[in-house]
Amino acid sequence: MAVKKSNNNPPAMVRDYWPRFKKRAVMLTILMQVAVTIVIGCALIAGGVLTTSIVFWIILIAILATTIGVNVILLTLLTLPFKDLTSARTHVSGEPTDVTPPNPNARHFEQDGFKPILQLIYALALGSTTEKSSDAAGSQLPLASITTALDNTDVGFIIMDESGQVTYANPKAPTHTDPNGKQVIDLLFDDDFTLEVWLKDCEQHAVHAEHTWKRVPNKVTGEEGRKIYDVTASYQKGSTAEVVVSLFDRSSDYQPDDDDLDFIAFAAHELRGPITVIRGYLDVFGDEVGDKLDADQSELLKRLVVSANRLSGYINNILNASRYDRRHLKVHLVEDSLTYIYDSIKDDMELRASSQSRVLSVHFPDDLPTVAADANSASEVLSNLIDNALKYSNEGGAVNVTATQEGNFVSVSVEDHGIGMPGNVVSNLFHKFYRSHRSRETVSGTGIGLYISKAIVESHGGKIGVRSAEGEGSTFTFSLPIYSTVADKLKASNNSNEGLINHTDGGWIKNHAMFRG
Amino acid sequence: MAIKTILCIEDDRFIGEMYVRSLHKAGYDVDWMVDGNDGLVAARNKPYDLILLDVMLPERRGSEILQSLRGNGEDLIPNTKVIVMTNFDQDEESRLAMQANVDAYLIKADITPKKLLSVIEKLR
Repeated sequence: MAVKKSNNNPPAMVRDYWPRFKKRAVMLTILMQVAVTIVIGCALIAGGVLTTSIVFWIILIAILATTIGVNVILLTLLTLPFKDLTSARTHVSGEPTDVTPPNPNARHFEQDGFKPILQLIYALALGSTTEKSSDAAGSQLPLASITTALDNTDVGFIIMDESGQVTYANPKAPTHTDPNGKQVIDLLFDDDFTLEVWLKDCEQHAVHAEHTWKRVPNKVTGEEGRKIYDVTASYQKGSTAEVVVSLFDRSSDYQPDDDDLDFIAFAAHELRGPITVIRGYLDVFGDEVGDKLDADQSELLKRLVVSANRLSGYINNILNASRYDRRHLKVHLVEDSLTYIYDSIKDDMELRASSQSRVLSVHFPDDLPTVAADANSASEVLSNLIDNALKYSNEGGAVNVTATQEGNFVSVSVEDHGIGMPGNVVSNLFHKFYRSHRSRETVSGTGIGLYISKAIVESHGGKIGVRSAEGEGSTFTFSLPIYSTVADKLKASNNSNEGLINHTDGGWIKNHAMFRG
Repeated sequence: MAIKTILCIEDDRFIGEMYVRSLHKAGYDVDWMVDGNDGLVAARNKPYDLILLDVMLPERRGSEILQSLRGNGEDLIPNTKVIVMTNFDQDEESRLAMQANVDAYLIKADITPKKLLSVIEKLR
């Protein structure tokens, strides 16, 4: 039949399809019946019926009217399911329409078995547009089950539109709603290349892009509910879901628990025991037999002392880094002078310099104001920087340590004239375990010293930085707050903890967390 | 008050001997106890000028000894100075609690006998 012919022009809107189809089908039916009638007319003429006879015309008109009537009725009946399907689709497409959507619960749909077909169409539509009714839609349905899966998976999913605004976030995604009612992603990126920066870059230069960040926490160390994610973002220009971010919770891999802290504490205890004895007896040995040794032997003894001291320093660095990573690193700021702080490591540093044939000169101006510092931690920073400067200097090289007042801070600089660093190394320098390719080959070390130095300086409210030129040397600079500028603040915050703030003269040992030799 | 008598509570034999040797040489009278119980008994029975107290000790921890001697609002050794000497990385809270009741808190690995003598000198 004519109605079965396919339509080669798909309609722009779903609701337009049915009227157009119906009109065409009826026209076609009428045309076909006219053609059939003409054939019958010709047959009658050939059979001897005269065209002038009234009977001839009556027969022709009767046949035409009857067949058209019958065919149009047949057409309507046979395309009824097709009409219902189309109006159901129009309805779920969301287009405005006057047509009443077919009711799957109508009796005739139940009787002829059309009901499940309509229900399927409605259920599919529900699954894709309404998030809340995922359970009503049933889990065997693809779209609905995707929503359910997103709600239940441990992987976080975030969808953002072209403005960078979050349009969807599943329950496991680390987001919160800000005071303006916008959903905001909670991720603390390690450096400046954040999701936002990447997105801006993509908008300018990319059609399709993907990027992965490893070890991205949602909160700072020690805060409740901290998780560490591997984050993968994919970008597709022009899509309604322009950015899709997947977050894999890797906390258990990246976040050692408290048992590990205990392990580090116990390991440090075990390591420190033998070091205590080695350093102690080297000290005794130097005192008791030092003057009986010849120059060569004295040099060997000196190297033993320097190495034991360094080892002790490394263990402190490891402990501090482990504390810092867990936010256990605390500094107790008291009034202190740089000269006092340096005094505690002076002998050790001079020994290290002379054993490596470097010239260490430390000069702090007498009129330098006192600083608010945790003497032990600050001396570790100074010791780390001086130790590095000595290590990366050349034979006979000079290392100069000076300090100046800069605004509310005392700025300390440690300058060497050693191998220096290219710019790409400088930017990574303060990362944990970072060591440049070359330094790995030529100088021993853990790469933890600068990381912990930065942490300590920043805990003081100061800054650490470096200027370096390859082949010419490096100058590391760190700042500590001038005591008088922060004294009021410190006193206020430590009222409950009497004795934390004290002058360096008189009873100074009591007010120091530890005394370093 | 000049320091003359010293009680050293230290379970590591090498470390204990090292301190005792240096302190003897410097002219101090030194008693050395190896476990926490003996240390506490000695500290209670004899009025020392100074106690060198380790933290990780058998039988009784240094923190417990300090608590028995100076906790509970009563100071049983008012004329005695106390220096905690430990290699153990205590948590902040425990460390501050001990520091509040002692004259110095030192990391053994950072202190050579010579440095220890200079710290004791400064306590006078």
